[in-house]
Amino acid sequence: MKETKLGDFEETLLLIVGILDKEAYAFKIAEEFEDQLKRSVSIGAVHSTLNRLGDKGFLTSKMGDPTAERGGRRKRIYEITAEGHRALKNSREIKLSLWNQFPAFANLKFRVG
Amino acid sequence: MESRPPELAERFLCFFLKQEFQEEVLGDLEEAYYFALREHTERRAALLYWFQVLNYLRPFAIKNFRSPEIYPVMLSHNIKISYRTLLKNKTYSLINILGLAIGITVSIFIGLWVLDEYSFNKNHEHYDRIVQVFRKNVTPEAIYINSSMTGALGEELNEKFPHYFEYTALTFFRPSEQVLSIGENSFEEMGYFFQPDITHILSLPMLEGSRDALQNPSNVIISKSFADKAFRNEQAIGQTVNLNANVDLIVAGVYEDLPQNSTFGDASFLISQALFYNEQNPYGWDNYNMKLFALLRPGVNVEDASEAIKDVIKPYRDELYNKGEIFLLPMRDWNLNSTFENGVQVASQKVQFIRLFIVIGLFIPLIGCINFMNLNTAQYQTRGKEVGIRKTLGSVRATVASQFLVESFMYVFGALMVSLVLVYALLPGFNEISGKEVTLPWMFPAFWLLCLVFSLIVSLFAGSYPAFFLSSFNPMEAIKGKLRQGRKSIRFRQALVVFQFTISIFLIIGTITIHEQINHAKNRSMGYEKEGLITIRGRNADFAQKGELLREELKRTGAVEEVAFSNYPLTNTLGNNGGFSVEGSTEINQETFNTIYVTPEYGAAAQWELVAGRDFNRDQGIEINSIILSESGVAQLGLTDPIGKEITAHNNTFNGQTNFTIIGVVKDMIKGSPFNDPVPLMLFPNTSTNRRGFMFVRLNPDMPYGESIAAVQESFHSVLPDHPFYAHFADDQYLAKFKSEDQTGTLATLFSTLAILISCLGLFGLSAFMVTQRVKEIGIRKVLGASITNLWMLLSKDFGQLVIIACVIALPAAFYAMNSWLQNYEFRIPLYWWIFVAGAVSCLVVTMLTVSYHSIRASLANPVESLRSE
Repeated sequence: MKETKLGDFEETLLLIVGILDKEAYAFKIAEEFEDQLKRSVSIGAVHSTLNRLGDKGFLTSKMGDPTAERGGRRKRIYEITAEGHRALKNSREIKLSLWNQFPAFANLKFRVG
Repeated sequence: MESRPPELAERFLCFFLKQEFQEEVLGDLEEAYYFALREHTERRAALLYWFQVLNYLRPFAIKNFRSPEIYPVMLSHNIKISYRTLLKNKTYSLINILGLAIGITVSIFIGLWVLDEYSFNKNHEHYDRIVQVFRKNVTPEAIYINSSMTGALGEELNEKFPHYFEYTALTFFRPSEQVLSIGENSFEEMGYFFQPDITHILSLPMLEGSRDALQNPSNVIISKSFADKAFRNEQAIGQTVNLNANVDLIVAGVYEDLPQNSTFGDASFLISQALFYNEQNPYGWDNYNMKLFALLRPGVNVEDASEAIKDVIKPYRDELYNKGEIFLLPMRDWNLNSTFENGVQVASQKVQFIRLFIVIGLFIPLIGCINFMNLNTAQYQTRGKEVGIRKTLGSVRATVASQFLVESFMYVFGALMVSLVLVYALLPGFNEISGKEVTLPWMFPAFWLLCLVFSLIVSLFAGSYPAFFLSSFNPMEAIKGKLRQGRKSIRFRQALVVFQFTISIFLIIGTITIHEQINHAKNRSMGYEKEGLITIRGRNADFAQKGELLREELKRTGAVEEVAFSNYPLTNTLGNNGGFSVEGSTEINQETFNTIYVTPEYGAAAQWELVAGRDFNRDQGIEINSIILSESGVAQLGLTDPIGKEITAHNNTFNGQTNFTIIGVVKDMIKGSPFNDPVPLMLFPNTSTNRRGFMFVRLNPDMPYGESIAAVQESFHSVLPDHPFYAHFADDQYLAKFKSEDQTGTLATLFSTLAILISCLGLFGLSAFMVTQRVKEIGIRKVLGASITNLWMLLSKDFGQLVIIACVIALPAAFYAMNSWLQNYEFRIPLYWWIFVAGAVSCLVVTMLTVSYHSIRASLANPVESLRSE
């Protein structure tokens, strides 16, 4: 059976794909990742993970339109699948549950919804 | 101009990146590049681009250079097909495997040989810290390196440099065989007189007794094999042995034999240096007759210690003889790097041989590889159909090529198995020829790994061209049988054959030259008659004192013609002195002369040839001021009419005299290396009974030697009942001087025979193919009236031409190589033209014989058979 767990890095990338929506292609995702997390990452690493997410069925991709600024080459645009959504949601719920059980933060109220 | 991402990085990316990703990734990276350009310099952006490219070296993105899913299936399929091909063509498989197996066998042997040379002395525990002291002697003409040391040096180093040297040990410069007697039995064995600490320096593996046993000069320590030989089952320790019919010694230790590839590997026993000198104090500063070995303290650098001690002998040196600086030579250099030319370390002859053999060890398997290439590509028509079918069924070129590579690996692997058996079977013979005691390292994984790596390399090499060539076929043409081999591939095959024959011819010429050179020296005029001359070495004082009586007794038996004594052997140039001047000249000649003391009958016993003047004569009493020179001695002193001329010695006295009158001149005697110019000789009359260490006996030629030796022995023992009797024939000793040359000659013969054999195997297979391909042409020619001779000529001509081209390449190369090899010898043959003709002709003849087998068979065949099929 294929591995369907969501790793931490995978989860982050999946979220960024969701945020970027129609602009979600490898270079943009890597850039966004660096911007938001203040951590450097190579496009190769991002691409590799996106590919793996695709294998797990959390992402689909299709080639976009050619753009002049990249030598007329097309981009591969990624999109979250329904299964991807489910996995994200699932992951968030597990985490929240854990947060809520953590005594130091237990009195903080998270808005769930 | 607008800047672009680095092109090389892009190309590299495209090389490894999966096709499906290329467009988007190139796009992404380019975008990243321009993005980076906004903030960074061009250089940095390019660097970042490279970084991004390298980060794509991930499994998901890398092209499948092979298809992992089908590979194991393909491999087993390939092996199956290879196996069937191997069985289908038994003759060619045999030729291939045999050729490769012989090649690999030669390589393994040479590998073992080289390994043995390079592991010389490595068995010693303190290999890295053991040194020998050498001396650099600077004269206006040249720098000489010498290992002879004065006896006082050992103590001097111990006292002045205790922080460098843990142990030092002196030994006598010239080791020789000694006689050990145990009761009735006596053994002539190699043993070394050593200072006691040698056992610590060599970390001698003691089986019994302590390493300090030699501290007591009346002890001897013996090797295990000698203990077994001399004492059989008895306990050796505590037994008494007699050294040279002179001193009784106690066996105080038994050590494990040192391996044959170690400096003292020939030692059967070690005895105290103190035994060698029983009279005066030997450890002075004036006699350079010792070798000095030492063990450095841990952590001491050889160069530092060398530098520190270099001037130690200067305060004691003789101004006339500048004894120069001393330095340390580490043990790792003793075997192969102890040859000096004008003070600089140069490649010794041994190293040259090692290099030569390594080259041969690479070339001979290469010949086997070439056979494989040729036979495989020559089968292109049959194999072509196979390739065609594979390709139509969907194989890509790489898969087809892999089939041929697997095939070549199977052949090489088979050959490896055969050669391991061969090596195992031939190892004793190899040891005999090479004078070594190597064993196959069966137990070491490194050996097997090396074998595997070697066969992989060989199979890649042998298989790469056939794989490349056969996989290139156009499938449609191949299936239709329309394949034509291009001119290029024929040319390439011919070039390979030429290469094989170049090596063969080269080796034939080399072998003949080596044999000629050895025979040339063996048949050299010696200046004395070596047949029927025996040497008996005196071991104790009794021998010299009873010399006259001995001579009379021996002559009385009738078994001998003449008996003479000298202080040095006849077959070696021991006893060297320089510093002579001739009357009427003040110039002192500094060349070295071989100076020996002889009894009056020396010339008669040796049967030398007198050129001028007269011999010493017993009836004239002891002619204390007379001297006899050899021809080269006369030439060295620049004399034209030597008889009656006076010679003055400046550095030494002889018989207490310094002035001598020349009474005779004799032909040169070749006493040292038969390959060198004769050493100029000076003979002085022997007046002291002390200088009679060697007795020369001329046997009666009319008596069988067995009988005369027995008579000599009996008579010898009647005078000296306790003295051991060992007689050495001069001609045996002479032949021993050719040992290393004979070994080289035998190995060269072996290698060249094998090279030719492998080449011919290949040629045999190749010519069979050629004939099969032209079988219809031959049929038609025959029907039209071609004679057998015509056909033979037609088919053999092609190969003859190749041999001739090979000659054109090989002859100059061989001339150059042999010429420089011969320069090693002072006494050498010229490069006879006939050797080159013989090399070329023999190769041509062998080729023709090989090829003729097939061409004649084809010419004799009934043309009806070959033409009927159409």
